[in-house]
Amino acid sequence: MDELIIADRKFTSRLLVGTGKFASSAVMAQALEKSAAQIVTVALRRVDITNAKDDMLSAIDRKKYLLLPNTSGARDAVEAVRLAKLARAATTINWVKLEVTPDPYYLLPDPIETLKAAEILVKDGFVVLPYINADPVLAKKLEDAGTAAVMPLGSPIGSNQGLKTRSALEIIIEQANVPVIIDAGLGLPSHAAEAMEIGADAVLVNTAIAAANDPCRMAVAFKLAVEAGRFAYLSDPAAAGKKASASSPLTGFLRDKK
Amino acid sequence: MEVLKINGVEKKFPAGRFPPTLAELLKTLGVDAATVVAEIDGQIIEKENFGAASLRKGQTIELVRFVPGG
Repeated sequence: MDELIIADRKFTSRLLVGTGKFASSAVMAQALEKSAAQIVTVALRRVDITNAKDDMLSAIDRKKYLLLPNTSGARDAVEAVRLAKLARAATTINWVKLEVTPDPYYLLPDPIETLKAAEILVKDGFVVLPYINADPVLAKKLEDAGTAAVMPLGSPIGSNQGLKTRSALEIIIEQANVPVIIDAGLGLPSHAAEAMEIGADAVLVNTAIAAANDPCRMAVAFKLAVEAGRFAYLSDPAAAGKKASASSPLTGFLRDKK
Repeated sequence: MEVLKINGVEKKFPAGRFPPTLAELLKTLGVDAATVVAEIDGQIIEKENFGAASLRKGQTIELVRFVPGG
């Protein structure tokens, strides 16, 4: 596949995978392998000091995957910036998936606090990938603020509803000069393929893989769907029409002309 | 008794058992220093400074690590 470039780093995979909700770290590691993802997201939480041994992410080969820490749990810009700085102290790179979700029911991102946090983090040298609603004006403002990508949602996190925001996503993709990574709500490989067909640069999938009965097989399905969608986009699809257009010749039937 | 507030919970140390440094505290708690990020009173402590970061009673410590997430 053609390369995905984010902040001067090149990737051959256009599927980003989240590490949440897997039944075990062994299943997670296998599914990541099958997905061929090169960027995987992680969250940051307090250590349970009564069970300090619990380190599920030791199963991730950090030489193979770029760890993309998120700021999940942040309810405003101040909390997001604090989480981003803690994450930076834990990794050797300064990438962050910025998410500010004050509402726990729909987990929709707060556009004002996200923009505020993005401006602070970009100035502080972070490579910022903000999770946003499918808002073309906000996407443009974030790009102008110096974010390395934008990550608009297809539908609410973990809802598996697919591209409910398609027409707004199409505007974001048309206007963007940074990679557009469709994040959240992709429940089936066909949703991921659709996102790639409309010109998304990449997709991020977590729940749909992790919560499938067979996460490894679903990881393969998403990998293939992302590749199929990307190839379709690059092929410049033929136009849709209302009437039939015969694929077989309309001459030389086995009957005489009247 | 000397007290540290660790991840929102007050932890008491008997006299003479108070950990002198952050590295010592992690050892006492059984936390692998390689996997955690620490703040003392809101200031991030770089990993290479865990051994040099001395602790005083009453300080607030945050210990965080990466967990699975999307």
